[in-house]
Amino acid sequence: MTDDWRNRSLKDLYRLTGQIFSQIPALARLWGSAYRALNFDSVPFTPLRKPLNECRLALVTTGGVHRRDQPPFDMVDPRGDPTYRRIPVDTPLAELTITHDYYDHTDAEADLNILFPLELAQSLVRRGLIGSLATSYSFMGHIEPPHLETLLRQTAPEVAMFLKQEQVDAVLLTPA
Amino acid sequence: MGLIARIIESAGISTVCIISLKPIAEQVRPPRTLYLAWPFGHPLGEPGHRAQQLTVLHAALHSLYFAEPGEILEPGWRWRRETYTVPPGWE
Repeated sequence: MTDDWRNRSLKDLYRLTGQIFSQIPALARLWGSAYRALNFDSVPFTPLRKPLNECRLALVTTGGVHRRDQPPFDMVDPRGDPTYRRIPVDTPLAELTITHDYYDHTDAEADLNILFPLELAQSLVRRGLIGSLATSYSFMGHIEPPHLETLLRQTAPEVAMFLKQEQVDAVLLTPA
Repeated sequence: MGLIARIIESAGISTVCIISLKPIAEQVRPPRTLYLAWPFGHPLGEPGHRAQQLTVLHAALHSLYFAEPGEILEPGWRWRRETYTVPPGWE
């Protein structure tokens, strides 16, 4: 009962602040400067050695994008959902939708390229400007403990392994 | 998202993140970051604005070749107050 109430209040709060931050970027930046994220000194780095027209590119988003025939992300748990959805290369944009209550995705639903530029990337591949496209992946942003550990230890390394298996050279990541 | 980028990069794949909140990138330190102070849900810009979207995509992909480890690139494009042309070679 108390947990239910707490979860509902948290989700309402996230939904409300997400909508406000979507409208007023200056407020979002203020929140961002107070936000305590995981802190790192070192940076992993893999130089890209092939020209773009020989590169295999994949997209990864945390905007809650998924195919309509895939289960939506879990918006019931206020700590988020650390799972991911595979988006095959030739997925038409009309088959994609967004489940993510914590930001305003009205514009992204009107033109998904502003969040998940699959169609733009497909056209650049057709014109020979990018070598090829691999399977893309979508997560939902806003993941808190204990799901953060699942993301870091299980689901994100799994996606990295799949990308490696598909011989991906470069990944573009886009947020909510 | 920067955390996911770090994990993918550690597996031997080059990554670039587009972000709208700089302080978080400064803490998480993704391998390469393109920072645009634009509203949530609009990493590549406005719906239907191909020149803007291609400009962002071009900047992000080309940063893969010159950004230093952990660098946050800031083109400084203002929200709805810039004129964009399709990047040369991508017309």
